[in-house]
Amino acid sequence: MLMMSRREGEVILIGDDVEIVIARIGRSRVTVGIRAPRQTPVAAREIKLVEEENRTAASIGSAADLSNLIARLRPASSSSGSRRRGK
Amino acid sequence: MPAVKTKYFGKIPYEPGSVIEFPAGLPAFEERRKFVLIQLPTTHPLLFLQSLDDPDVCFPVLRALAVDKQYRLRLAKEDLRRLDLPTSRQPRVGEDIECLAVVALRKDGATANLLAPVVINLRKMQAVQAVGEDSYSLQHPLRPLDKAGTCS
Repeated sequence: MLMMSRREGEVILIGDDVEIVIARIGRSRVTVGIRAPRQTPVAAREIKLVEEENRTAASIGSAADLSNLIARLRPASSSSGSRRRGK
Repeated sequence: MPAVKTKYFGKIPYEPGSVIEFPAGLPAFEERRKFVLIQLPTTHPLLFLQSLDDPDVCFPVLRALAVDKQYRLRLAKEDLRRLDLPTSRQPRVGEDIECLAVVALRKDGATANLLAPVVINLRKMQAVQAVGEDSYSLQHPLRPLDKAGTCS
């Protein structure tokens, strides 16, 4: 991996048509500006992980899986009528 | 009253004013822009974000505060703007916005995405799935919730 150190306001070029501007450096975050052709998708890496989570969430296919999920969320005492707490 | 064809519950009527618009869709489902939030006593505390355009697209969700009572939403200015909310302060959950965690069922258990909650502007019925600034988990493990629907 190429490491570069840059100051606020400085720019990095990637290829001929992508510019990364170091707009602001805070205590724990940097704000960067990205200039890229419209057809180049630009996204924070987390978005890829969120896509994967959303696909998994939307993939519950059967009513049985759904009941299983709901049962997991309910307290044990109300998920089973025959089970009692205490004596 | 119009009805939505749902993935799990057949047809359910909905108020036209309750349609939630995602101007950018949700990650991996960018084409789906209109949803309704389905709450049924039989599935409590689980709710469902059902697409109006595609019956197959339905996300089980939980209120973020039900997953974690201490949950604190911090929206980036870009997201506040996308939601048409004032950028001078954080919105209030339950008053200005609703904040929902998408729930996934996997082999080793159920998890909730607290890192990227679905945030709905309740006045404008506009929503985004916002990647948070804080270090919440993308796969927060779910335990049984208590009767009020909050994590015990």
